[in-house]
Amino acid sequence: MPSVCFYFQVHQPYRLKEYNFFDIGHDHFYENEKLNREVMNKVADKCYIPTNKMMLELIKKHKGKFRISYSISGTALEQFEKYRPDVLESFVALSKTGCVEFLSETYYHSLSFIYDKKEFKRQVEKHRDLIKKYFKQSPTVFRNTELIYNNEIAKTIEDMGYKAIVCEGVDRILENRSPNFIYRSPNCHSLKTLLKNYRLSDDIAFRFSDPNWTEHPLSATKFAGWLHSIAGNGELINLFMDYETFGEHQWESSGIFDFLSQLPTEILSHKDFDFKTVSEVAEKYPIRDDYDAHDLTSWADTERDLSAWLGNSMQNEAIERIYSFKERVLATEREDMLDTWAKLLTSDHFYYMCTKFWADGDVHKYFSPYQSPYDAYIYFMNVLTDMEYVLSELLKQKKMPNAKKNTAVDSLDINALTVAADTNELVTNIAVATTNAASSANLKEEVLNKVKSIAKRVSTKKSITKSSTKKVISKEASEKKKTASKSNVKSANKGKKIAANKKTTKPASKKKP
Amino acid sequence: MFGWEFPPVINGGLGVACLGLCKALAPMVNLKMVIPKSNPEYAVNYMELIGLNSVDISTLKKKTSKKAFKKFSSLNYFDLALSPYINFTGEAEINKIQHEVYTSDLKQFEINELYGSDIIRKVLEFSKISVKLSATKQFDIIHAHDWMTFLPGMEIKTATGKPLVLHVHSLEYDRSGPENKSWVYQLEKRAMEYADAIIPVSNYTGSIIENIYGISKSKIFPVHNGIEPVNHSQLKRITSEKIVIFFGRITRQKGPEFYFEAAKKVLQHYPDVRFVLAGTGDLMRGIMEKAAEARIGHKFHTTGFLTKEKINDLLAVADVYVMPSVSEPFGLSAIEAVQYGIPTILSKQSGASEVIHGTLTMDFWDVNKMANYIISLLEYPTLRKELVDTAFVDLKKINWTSTAKKVLKVYDKLVC
Repeated sequence: MPSVCFYFQVHQPYRLKEYNFFDIGHDHFYENEKLNREVMNKVADKCYIPTNKMMLELIKKHKGKFRISYSISGTALEQFEKYRPDVLESFVALSKTGCVEFLSETYYHSLSFIYDKKEFKRQVEKHRDLIKKYFKQSPTVFRNTELIYNNEIAKTIEDMGYKAIVCEGVDRILENRSPNFIYRSPNCHSLKTLLKNYRLSDDIAFRFSDPNWTEHPLSATKFAGWLHSIAGNGELINLFMDYETFGEHQWESSGIFDFLSQLPTEILSHKDFDFKTVSEVAEKYPIRDDYDAHDLTSWADTERDLSAWLGNSMQNEAIERIYSFKERVLATEREDMLDTWAKLLTSDHFYYMCTKFWADGDVHKYFSPYQSPYDAYIYFMNVLTDMEYVLSELLKQKKMPNAKKNTAVDSLDINALTVAADTNELVTNIAVATTNAASSANLKEEVLNKVKSIAKRVSTKKSITKSSTKKVISKEASEKKKTASKSNVKSANKGKKIAANKKTTKPASKKKP
Repeated sequence: MFGWEFPPVINGGLGVACLGLCKALAPMVNLKMVIPKSNPEYAVNYMELIGLNSVDISTLKKKTSKKAFKKFSSLNYFDLALSPYINFTGEAEINKIQHEVYTSDLKQFEINELYGSDIIRKVLEFSKISVKLSATKQFDIIHAHDWMTFLPGMEIKTATGKPLVLHVHSLEYDRSGPENKSWVYQLEKRAMEYADAIIPVSNYTGSIIENIYGISKSKIFPVHNGIEPVNHSQLKRITSEKIVIFFGRITRQKGPEFYFEAAKKVLQHYPDVRFVLAGTGDLMRGIMEKAAEARIGHKFHTTGFLTKEKINDLLAVADVYVMPSVSEPFGLSAIEAVQYGIPTILSKQSGASEVIHGTLTMDFWDVNKMANYIISLLEYPTLRKELVDTAFVDLKKINWTSTAKKVLKVYDKLVC
């Protein structure tokens, strides 16, 4: 009796604004709130709201026989609460039917397993707490970001107490075996590995509205027929896809909602077929064989590897740099810093820097809020430079005596900044924080001491300073003359001038900030 | 085929492009190239290169067919305006020159400066002789490069009925801006309306031909230029400071003022960098004065006109190349910078940004973004590497053979 197991991924990142060099040191709020709100509203109206409504109807209609699973990232849930509470309510309504299960994943939709296992576990725990809070469920099945998987991840997940993990059914590991059975990583004892049937999943997720596809248009009857043909040759069919498939990737006009509304009836028309959630299939079906994944795999692109996130040097540098901040972030002992930092670990930031398709000139394959992968990298790296500055400021203040009692320092609160919606408000916040800090008695003393010590040094070198100032002035004057005389030189001589200029002009002594 | 610039007499990208295309096209078709002035040193294999300066006029005199020629030559609806290339004196003057050229006997063709003050006269003389010359030659396609050769193109099409292909390397729109509706603009528009096919050197220029000149899209076939491989020159760096370069004519079209404004902005925040403005043109003095006024004269270097070798020396030491052109049909120099492994910043209003994906692009007026890009390239070596690597991949696809093949396809459409 084969079971159809639907799992839908729901995720929205915090997109960064076009954070340029001149913002560094001035603007500590990195999110593009306007864009994030717009995207959330768009996807909510096109996908989440109508699809959740339909799912609820289908569940009621089939009286418990239609069962589905979701994995919703923490950053998506946060943004539901912030921008579209109605979406969150509709998911809560689904959770109350008893036919909907929620999976575990990393709160920030991050690649943390690869870079920092401790952070990975922290994020999984944080996500569990959130799922418990909203949906009153304790997940027993785990889904890693972008279905990234190998034996090592499976082992870690088993040790964390999970019953099952979902991943891509990669051909090169399956070696002609069917994804429609339960497998196990060779180094695991009881953790069940659920493999995505990518052919059938992608028929809905990618090919559904493609007019060049030979099976287009795809009807629910036809698709159910393909599933039914598996009877006797498989125990479960895992249909894993982005939830945004419904209404957002495949538009309503493609007929995707009609397809979805008829699909359960069509599938259940075969008496041997039923629907189960991820933990239910894991409970019911036994492990049939080993699935031995040494290298990391994912559900992305045709390569099913990590090249979309870690394929070029910009991506690798950016991700290594943000993870390298961890110790400093923890040293501030501030939740808000930890949150700001962790939001920058979201995999989407690195995906936007992908040049795989860009280099082919295939711009259409490139989904990003930015003009190019290079822009994505520039904004991200600028943000990191600012964050490094904020961290050093916070740590400096922390080292000061009685720092903890210093309320002025606390008011330099970037969390306070992150909730502020309006940029003007931000500026005021920063201004207030800075004034407060300056007026604080401790700080005053520190500044005073510094000034005194500088004054001491200056007085000893007074004569030297004076003369050197003069020199600088005269140098500037001669530069001015040179520039002025330049415009009078006949163009015939100009070819030689560049070399001459380089020699005569002194290299700048001032270092970059 | 009719060209105006051809090595060694070149002014900009036109001559280089004509030579590149001829070299690649010559083995594929029976090619005759007519230019004002030829030099045996620049002969191309399999191609007949005809410099009008060396054509014996007495042999042409007998083959008179004046009536076709008159049809276009006597157009005098052209409005006149100033162009950066040429100083026109007035409508009456042009009519006078036209009258003189058409009524006078054929004279031996002589030309000193390609873009001298007598360019209109030269263009008309070139046209007159070319038409006569064509009567002595066998051909199936007429292919004319830029407005200087559009007149003979039209005349010969009328006389022979052979299809006319116009190759557009640059438009009056690019050189003089959208307000300009000069004699040259009128000539371009008229010629493009009359032509059977138009080959602009980029989609960008194609869209201007369609939207500004109002030509039907169905006969516009953009073909990007190729480029010749280079030998890198090696030059020792004189300073440890980073060098940002601009090279080209210092004219409105190339956007040097925007480059200067971006330089000023960068220097306010990031002093360890030098800017070079290489080339010459009518805007140079003004920019030098502005640099002095902003007290960045010691960081902002103007070089005046540079020879090819000097440009290569500059490319060898440059860290960032900026091309902020207001309107750039192709932008050969951007591709040259890529050949030297220099990360590039190009305006979106350029053809080069269509073939180079490993580049940073902004609108020519977006000084803030330009400044940010310059700093980013100086600050982030990884970004430089990724851009250069991607641009090298792009570069492999840019060659004259594939350009010639695409031109051949356009011919096929017309002949078959």
